[in-house]
Amino acid sequence: MKILCVRLRNYRGIEEAEVHFGPVGLTVVEGPNEAGKTSLTESVKILFEYLDSSKHRNVEAIKPVDRDVSTEIELQAESGPYTFTYLKRFHKKPETTLKVVKPKPENHTGREAHERAEAILRETIDVDLWRALNMQQGEELRQANLEKQTSLSAALDRAAGGHSTDPREESLFELIREEYAHYYTERGNEKKELQVAQRAEENALNEVASLQQQFKNLEDDIDRVALLQNDLDRFAKQEREIESEISGYQKSLDEIQKLEAALETARLKLDSERKSEDAARLEKKSRQDLVDRVNKARKEHANLEAAVASSGPAVQNAEEGLGKAEESADSAEKCRKDAETLLTLRRADFDYFNNKLHLEQLGERKERIDRAREEAAVAEDLLTSNQVDEKRLKKIQKAERALIIARAQQEAGSPSLLLRALTDLTLQIDGEQASIGKNEEKPLSVPDRVRVTIPETLDIEVTAGARAVDLSQRFEEAQEALTSACTVAGVRADPDEARNAFEERQEALRHIKNRDQTERDNLRDLTYEQLERKVIGLGKSIPVYPGERVSTPPLCFDLESAQEELRKAEKSLYEAGREWEIARDTLNSAREVRDRLRESSRETRIQLDLKAADLKQGEEELSRARARIPDDELKEKLDKSTKEVRFQEGSFRDAENALKIKGPEKVKTLMETAKGSLQTVQKKRKNAQTGLTEVQTRLKVLGEDGLHEQLHAAESRLEHVRRESAALVRRASAARLLFETMKDERDKARRAYVAPLREKIEQLGRLLFNDTFEVEVSEDLVITSRTLGGATVSFDSLSGGTREQLSLIARLACAMIVGKDGGGAPLILDDALGYTDPERLKLMGAVLAKAGQACQIIILTCMPDRYRNVGEAAVVRMA
Amino acid sequence: MTRFLHTGDWQLGMTRHFFSEGVQERFAQSRFDAIRKLGSIAKEEDCRFMVVCGDVFESNLIDRKTVFRALEALKDVLIPVYLLPGNHDPLNAASVYRSSTFLERKPPHVHVIEDMIPIKVDEGIEIVGVPWSSKRPLQDLVAMAITPLESVVDTVRVCVAHGMVDSISPNPDDPAAISLHAAEMAISQNKIHYLALGDRHSLTQVGNTGRIWYAGSPEQTDYNEVKSGFAIVVDLDREKVATREVNVGAWRFIERKRVDMNTKEDIESLKRWLEEIDDKERTVVKLRLVGTLSLLFHDQLEELFVYISEILGALETRTEELVVIPEDADFADFGFSGFASRTVVRLRSNAQDAGPHGIKARDALTLLVRLAGKAQ
Repeated sequence: MKILCVRLRNYRGIEEAEVHFGPVGLTVVEGPNEAGKTSLTESVKILFEYLDSSKHRNVEAIKPVDRDVSTEIELQAESGPYTFTYLKRFHKKPETTLKVVKPKPENHTGREAHERAEAILRETIDVDLWRALNMQQGEELRQANLEKQTSLSAALDRAAGGHSTDPREESLFELIREEYAHYYTERGNEKKELQVAQRAEENALNEVASLQQQFKNLEDDIDRVALLQNDLDRFAKQEREIESEISGYQKSLDEIQKLEAALETARLKLDSERKSEDAARLEKKSRQDLVDRVNKARKEHANLEAAVASSGPAVQNAEEGLGKAEESADSAEKCRKDAETLLTLRRADFDYFNNKLHLEQLGERKERIDRAREEAAVAEDLLTSNQVDEKRLKKIQKAERALIIARAQQEAGSPSLLLRALTDLTLQIDGEQASIGKNEEKPLSVPDRVRVTIPETLDIEVTAGARAVDLSQRFEEAQEALTSACTVAGVRADPDEARNAFEERQEALRHIKNRDQTERDNLRDLTYEQLERKVIGLGKSIPVYPGERVSTPPLCFDLESAQEELRKAEKSLYEAGREWEIARDTLNSAREVRDRLRESSRETRIQLDLKAADLKQGEEELSRARARIPDDELKEKLDKSTKEVRFQEGSFRDAENALKIKGPEKVKTLMETAKGSLQTVQKKRKNAQTGLTEVQTRLKVLGEDGLHEQLHAAESRLEHVRRESAALVRRASAARLLFETMKDERDKARRAYVAPLREKIEQLGRLLFNDTFEVEVSEDLVITSRTLGGATVSFDSLSGGTREQLSLIARLACAMIVGKDGGGAPLILDDALGYTDPERLKLMGAVLAKAGQACQIIILTCMPDRYRNVGEAAVVRMA
Repeated sequence: MTRFLHTGDWQLGMTRHFFSEGVQERFAQSRFDAIRKLGSIAKEEDCRFMVVCGDVFESNLIDRKTVFRALEALKDVLIPVYLLPGNHDPLNAASVYRSSTFLERKPPHVHVIEDMIPIKVDEGIEIVGVPWSSKRPLQDLVAMAITPLESVVDTVRVCVAHGMVDSISPNPDDPAAISLHAAEMAISQNKIHYLALGDRHSLTQVGNTGRIWYAGSPEQTDYNEVKSGFAIVVDLDREKVATREVNVGAWRFIERKRVDMNTKEDIESLKRWLEEIDDKERTVVKLRLVGTLSLLFHDQLEELFVYISEILGALETRTEELVVIPEDADFADFGFSGFASRTVVRLRSNAQDAGPHGIKARDALTLLVRLAGKAQ
């Protein structure tokens, strides 16, 4: 719809106003507060919403204060294919007229006009969306609620390339949601009704199970009654049988009791006779023991006497044996001592020869050392005078080589003089006498200056030039150097001498070195002094030994024989030692034998004395006893008692057999068993009786409770509950499936149509922000976040100004989409952008101008400056 | 000639799971009413006594109230009544006949047959009862009772028994089955002259003597009963016997084992059939539906059932073989093209599934059609 003109008369404070709007683009309605800008939008709403006769408070509110006049609202508009003028007069002489110009002329009045206008409006615009998009004062920060705006949905659907959404689909979806909500919570949990149904089923099931159990228990009880009655009869019969058995056993037991008494009497008699017999036997035995004791003592006494008699000679023999052993021991000890003496002598002999040999060796070693020392002393002297060591020799040899070189150079480079004698003559060269035969030639080198004098004839002085002089000087220097080196080495200026001296020095060094080695080799672990002392000591002791030694046995003639004699002496000593030990052991044994025999003899004598006393006592006791009762009398008494015991034993066995035949143990056991069985049966019968009583009582009490009907009723209930529950679950499942399926489809559709809206918002927003501007739009068409330069901020966290701008942009985007689609409505902004700074206002102007190309935008403002950058716009001023 | 009323299988206290609470009570009351009706028939027909051949009560464990009401109804029967314990109410430790409730309130003309000793009912008339003392006897009790009897010359003897006769028993190996041969032999030997039987709920003659009958239940209790709701008026002497069935019952159990259900006409036809049933409130109907229905027709069928089950004694439907398939026609007036339309496509695809998912999808579609109608 596009509002072309609104005319108001007597509307609130406005007496007369007529505002024309641009059919597309922006219309800015300027005016101070209370100029009636908001009334323009309000009047359009009232025009469509209320009948001219309405007494609604909203209608009453537009009546001018203190004036009893009629209020008129007239609207010229285009909507879809229609172009019309719609007038309503309220309060006084109410009237409604609708004049449609396009697509075909129509004229309506009264209620018909109202309804027709409403129909056109509904047919051509989405009224709800129109209301949602328009921004009232103070709403700047809130986003429009676009969730249920069917025309927007339709437009977005078409923009997204889908089918057009039928507005009834949302209503259907709402109905389905309600149906779903009947059974489930928003989170998809079951609601009370389903839970109750489930519980009811469980309860019914439990009730049935409980009753079935009771029923079964009763049935079991019924069966049990029959069984228990059977048991009772059986037990009673068993009881009778056992009682009869017990009576039979009792008779046998009475007889057994009598026989047991007889047996007991026989046992007592037998015991008494046995005691008498034991007493007689004991008395007889006691007498016999006494007799035996006396006899034994007598015999032992005789034996002891014999032993005492024989012990004297034995001791004597032992004493003699001891004496012999002592002699043998003494002899053996002497032999041993002799062998020891000889061994000492032989050992000394051996040492003598050994020391002799040792002295010789030591003397030789000392001599070698002394010789080496002497040579070393000579060498050391030489070393003191001879300084030509390797280093000095090398220096001399070096100077020698330098001299030879200098000489060769001099000879090559200095002028020469050839003397050729024409006759034999004597001459002086440099003052020295020389002679040259006839025709002999004598070359002379002139290193520096040569003076040849023929005495009294001629004096020739040849002087070499500058170079020859130089060479000559070098030669001299070399010679001096050699001389100097030789001097330092302590030799004449002769290198050969130096070399000889060096060899001598080396030889001397070798001698010194040899001395040390010789000392080490010959001293070994001794010092020279120790060696010397040993040589002196041995040299003193050896010669005197033969004189000091005993004469016999004679001294051996050499070391080997001395050693042989030593071995023999050692062997003799070992054997003598052994002999001596044997003799000593024999002596000890003989001494022990003698001592033992002596002791034994003494003991035997003591025993003999004791035994004699014992024998005497025994003989006295036996005499006294025999005087009291003779031995024969005792024997008779025992025989009599034994006979009586035999008799009583016979009687006892007879009584025992008589009892045994009756089998008393078996009868008693059977009796006990029967009594036990009787008790068991009686107990069982009692239990059965108790059980029967209990069961019968239970049956009586419970049997008439109507369990049958209760069970059937419970089963019926269960079936009903199950049926109802199943039906409920089925209904709930159907609702759930339907809801979830449709929601899924709806969400899919929504996700698709969010895209064009976002695109449009971003297109407008990039004018305001920059090219990185992006928004996230939720499925209910609300901006949830803004992204700028990669930074994402949720809508609610944005500044007031930005939120206001984004809310407006979202509205503009919707209006553009719907407007482009043909189903649009004017977007009315009542003093929006109050939170926006001047810079952004400028940019928002561009946004509004861009949106204005696609839909009609009406801006109501009391601050015209705010919108000075909106580009081309129709401006209406309200006073 | 002695005239007596032969009945049995009253099954007092019987319940049926398909009855709602109110109908159950009605059904129970009808059984007590049947006792009174039997009483009035006996009076009208001038019967000397009445024999009830077992299963007087549905169970020994029935409610006292049921016993009270039974005895109260029996008070209105003015001739001697002989009650025989059967397999449902055997004379065991929990026997209803030995309960204090029964014993204290039993009218003097009501007798319980507790053993097989002949009972003298009147001069020249004897009853030999064969009571059950347990639910599972292991032998032919009738043979046991009648074989040792002496033939009678001046007495008419009626044997009152319960159980299946071997010639018609579904279980020929049942050791408790009543030997028809033994019974007929006893009849031919003048040991008994009539065998009054209970257990089978349909009125049935057994053998060719005309002296062996099942009276059936006075009120129908299930669908498979061929002829229940009757009692027999017996005229008997040693030489001849005459039996006459009398209608007692008010309830009917109707079962249709196959009702084809594919079209609107099928629904209409079923509707007509149901509406034509007489005495609907004492009629129990069981339908096994076979066929394929669209959502729309299924909805209509459901509506019919909701309505008719309110009127009938009970309506049982078996729909395992009735397939509900959403058809294009179900969505002809749907008129949606957006997500709702795509929802329909998805659910219809799921509805092809033969298993529970398919059923769920079809239910969801049914709901959708219903709500769509509401939305429009």
